[in-house]
Amino acid sequence: MNLDANRGLIVAALSRVRSGDRSALHTVYRLTSAKLFGVCLRILGERNEAEDVLQEVYMTVWRKAADFDPDRSSPMTWLIAITRNRAIDRLRATRRSRRMEPIDAANDIADATPSADHAMESMQKYERLHGCLDGLAAHERAALRGAYFDGNTYEDLAARMSVPLGTMKSWIRRAMIKLKACLEA
Amino acid sequence: MSDTLDDSGVPDRELLAAELVLGVLAGSERAAALRLVERDSHFAALVADWEEKLTPWAAEIEDIAAPPQVWDRIAAALPAQAAASAGWWQNLAFWRGLSLATSALAALCIGALVYLGTVPQKAPLVAGLDGGGQHHFVATIDMARGSIAVVPAAVSADATRVPELWLIPADGKPRSLGLLRADRAVSITIPPNLMGQIVSNAVLAVSLEPLGGSPTGQPTGPVIASGRLTTL
Repeated sequence: MNLDANRGLIVAALSRVRSGDRSALHTVYRLTSAKLFGVCLRILGERNEAEDVLQEVYMTVWRKAADFDPDRSSPMTWLIAITRNRAIDRLRATRRSRRMEPIDAANDIADATPSADHAMESMQKYERLHGCLDGLAAHERAALRGAYFDGNTYEDLAARMSVPLGTMKSWIRRAMIKLKACLEA
Repeated sequence: MSDTLDDSGVPDRELLAAELVLGVLAGSERAAALRLVERDSHFAALVADWEEKLTPWAAEIEDIAAPPQVWDRIAAALPAQAAASAGWWQNLAFWRGLSLATSALAALCIGALVYLGTVPQKAPLVAGLDGGGQHHFVATIDMARGSIAVVPAAVSADATRVPELWLIPADGKPRSLGLLRADRAVSITIPPNLMGQIVSNAVLAVSLEPLGGSPTGQPTGPVIASGRLTTL
């Protein structure tokens, strides 16, 4: 659960992947695939597709390891971004979002509470994000969750929360502006 | 596109980056935003900033062990680890291109074997042509037929210019081998007077030229990819 636990090891392995080292890719895979498979499965909701996308993710890592800059981003940020992009592309290509049951903002709860045995930096970032999310209105937070965890589009979210598309767009945009201001405060 | 402000005073680009990272865009909007990431480093930085902001949320997603066949499939799709001691196999660009074009290359090799009906006596010459991570071709020489097959691995088509392949032998003077395609493999017959120059370490380069090819007989446009021939 701690996203920064093996940061140094992952960065070192990625730098060896750049020079075409297969065993280094295997190291990256061993250190990160459970998290990334969790992300794939959460968005796609179907194991075969999640496995396909996970494979694509590591082939992308193999080809694009040179694009990763450890001075500018954490390896998990880079890997999760690749994974979410691939999973969302797959979702968009195949069908509507898997999770389409109505969202009741009043029942908005976190998937899981990360355990407390985190490296401090990672835990602080998580708590900071959560503090800012808690500052949003319940309907805004619920909409953002649907997008981030279920891969929902604006249209999906408008349907799930029974509001017009324009309303959903302004909810999300306003929520993201507030979130940014809070995180940068 | 300029950074216009919406009625909240936030630049369009900033909101677009937030929407892309959150994942709410679909269809042409998502495709356009993804293209903008490739083209516009300012926008890419906004996107990276949002990724950094939202990543901690992923800590809520449970880790789930992937089944072992996933790694097996990845390992099978990677290029085989080379045993050679020369430097070329450490060239990431080569492997990148090769990994993208492996199946095409395999098909070519099988084709060559079938054609010859026997194992060729001379090791085939290949070159991975790289240009800074964006443009890749893989070139394979068929010495028996005197031809060169060039497979595009990651090349964007350009409506106004065509890729032209050049041989740059030891004397450093480029000789045109012909025009390539960004969208499919091309097989070019090597002029007989150049066959003697097709040797290990000769350089192949690709430049972008006006439709129909370089008007001067020398490269006139930017060189987008190059690489050295080497025995496989």
